Amino acid sequence: MTRSRQLALLALAGLLLLVPLVLTPNLINAVIKMLIAGLFALSFSLAMGQAGMLSFGHSAYYGLGAFATLHLMRAVEHSVVTWPTPLLPLAGGAAGFFCGLGFGWLATQRTGVYFAMVTLALAELLFTLAPTWNSVFGGESGISTMRMNSWSINFASDTGVYYLTLVWVAGSTWCLWAFTRTPMGRLALAVRENEHRVRFLGFNTHGAKTLIFAISAMFTGVAGALLAIANEATNYTVFSAQASANVVLQTFIGGAGTFFGPALGAATMTFFARVTSDLTRSWLLYQGLIFVIVMLFVPDGFGGLISTHARRLRATAVRHLTVPYLVCLVVAVLLAVGVVFVVESLHVVLSDAYAVLRRTNGGALVPYHLLGRQFDPLSPWTWAIPVVLILAGAALLPLARRLTTEGWNRALNERAA
Amino acid sequence: LEFLVVSVLNGVVHGLLLFMVSAGLTLIFGMMGVLNFAHAWFYMLGAYVGFSLSRAVGFWAGLIAAPLIAGAGGVLVERYMLRRVHKYGHAHELLLTFGLAFIIEEVIKLFYGDFPVNYTMPPYMKFAAFTLYETNYPFYRLFMGVVAIVIFAVLYVVLTRTRVGIIVRAATHRPAMVEALGHNLPVVFMSVFAAGAGLAGLAGAVAGAFFPTGPNMAVDFGTLVFVVVVVGGLGSLEGALVASLLIGLFISFSVGFSWSLSDLLALVGLGAWAREVGGLLTLQLSTIAASMPFLLMLLVLLIRPAGLFGDRQ
Repeated sequence: MTRSRQLALLALAGLLLLVPLVLTPNLINAVIKMLIAGLFALSFSLAMGQAGMLSFGHSAYYGLGAFATLHLMRAVEHSVVTWPTPLLPLAGGAAGFFCGLGFGWLATQRTGVYFAMVTLALAELLFTLAPTWNSVFGGESGISTMRMNSWSINFASDTGVYYLTLVWVAGSTWCLWAFTRTPMGRLALAVRENEHRVRFLGFNTHGAKTLIFAISAMFTGVAGALLAIANEATNYTVFSAQASANVVLQTFIGGAGTFFGPALGAATMTFFARVTSDLTRSWLLYQGLIFVIVMLFVPDGFGGLISTHARRLRATAVRHLTVPYLVCLVVAVLLAVGVVFVVESLHVVLSDAYAVLRRTNGGALVPYHLLGRQFDPLSPWTWAIPVVLILAGAALLPLARRLTTEGWNRALNERAA
Repeated sequence: LEFLVVSVLNGVVHGLLLFMVSAGLTLIFGMMGVLNFAHAWFYMLGAYVGFSLSRAVGFWAGLIAAPLIAGAGGVLVERYMLRRVHKYGHAHELLLTFGLAFIIEEVIKLFYGDFPVNYTMPPYMKFAAFTLYETNYPFYRLFMGVVAIVIFAVLYVVLTRTRVGIIVRAATHRPAMVEALGHNLPVVFMSVFAAGAGLAGLAGAVAGAFFPTGPNMAVDFGTLVFVVVVVGGLGSLEGALVASLLIGLFISFSVGFSWSLSDLLALVGLGAWAREVGGLLTLQLSTIAASMPFLLMLLVLLIRPAGLFGDRQ
């Protein structure tokens, strides 16, 4: 590990330790969700990135981890067993591991698209069974319980939950990272690259894949357990295909080929969802747009982008890229503001509230509110704003691309010279 | 017997509808190997196009325009998006179409709101085809079934009896050879994708008029169409038809039965024990009808991954 990397990790750790001291409870809760999403994505990418198994049903282990933990919490609450709250995620991990072992043994008999389909079918089975299976999954309403204080730590507060989550996420991340350095972890890479040859060398690839899948499922279960502790409740929707797909999406936005990329993508997208879902009802549209743009133009994800820069450029060569990237930023902002303006305007003008407003004004297209200003839907000036923004962005796009290519060439030449 | 006849009729019609939606996906999946996650959203797009045109122009105009517009959407997606990411592998293609599904759904919601719209068939089609055990059987259900059968017949004939079909099928197996013989492979793939998307659009316009047309209609079908394609076998049209019918009948029959695993165990004298254990053992078949397609898909994948009618692994 390089020195700059160590420094970055230390800075991140310090920042995360300080979070509860400076943030409001609402934001602490957001950071908890980001940490959990990060761990979920990291454990998913152990199966996906390391062993090349695209699982489309990881929500199964996430949900099972959450339900197992809630059942244990309920048993503690009713004094059936005693179990310290900080060790609750062990239950989630165990549930994830054993279920991953069973389901993984079935799924890893197939490869590629068929593997994805088996995992999808297993998760969908749970998703459709859970609402009718009352004794285990609590029917459609799910189950809920209370956190107990233990080891004289107060878990009623967000701070207590935050540090519990942080410790578990950091520990699990270290385990996942360390796993990639073990012979077993190297074997995972070998299986991804050429399974036939690995089998030829005398390894039991089916067994290895099952075990890797189970370990991935185990840490997914831990993430689910942390979610259960933070929310104190869950229901069958954690099994939905949407949840499985979300983690795939976040992993690829972050960069499936890097170790920390998926966590970065998951944390960023979770934060993005939390912020934008309060601001606008079209946030899913923006999320979809970001995802498609990343898939089309940044196929390695943001983690891949960062590692490309770190690997191929010297620190001094970065100056060649400052101006091109500033132009790119201007283009991105112009296009984004233009698109957001159009979407939000349409949203307001086509809404029911606006229809009522029109009726009270005798059917006229009255001005509408957006971003604290009034806009007249019939005025050409209103629509000139997005048109000018988008046209300007589109006109600058070729320039930005040319400058970036030239900047990269100069930066790489400096290295050669 | 009444239950039997009604269940068979409903199951067959439901299965035919399922086939209508998944026929296009089978085509795309089998011919191009692209797992088009957004397929059910083209179905949704078709339903909304049908709704808009049935108000502005007429029902039949919507029925004609829906496949054309969905097909045009398919052309754009294939030409400007899928082709760019093809080199990164199938996972990328699948994920891209997944993002597209989001965008299509949200854009439709932007224009039509979060609630189902009132898309109905023209009044002259609203009559009972026949009366069965004192229940009137709607003509429109039969109409949907007939449309599905026509789609199947046309696709089958085009794929197996015409030059176009030969080129498309050859392009699946030996793309390099087909290109060497002077056929424009990108155009072939683009047309296949457009045809698949257009079929989904047509299905949407036809079925949307009978079933509710709303923001949830795509999600409900989203994974079920995959089940049909997998169970039927890669790119096998007959397989998709049989699988759709099977799933349709399965669902319509299981809704009517209150059997559970405990009844099965009672046959070997373990009934009382099973009822005591409860949980999974006493769940009635009717309540877990929704799980059945996935169980079927799981079994097919584990026992015969090529599907019922598929011939290659």
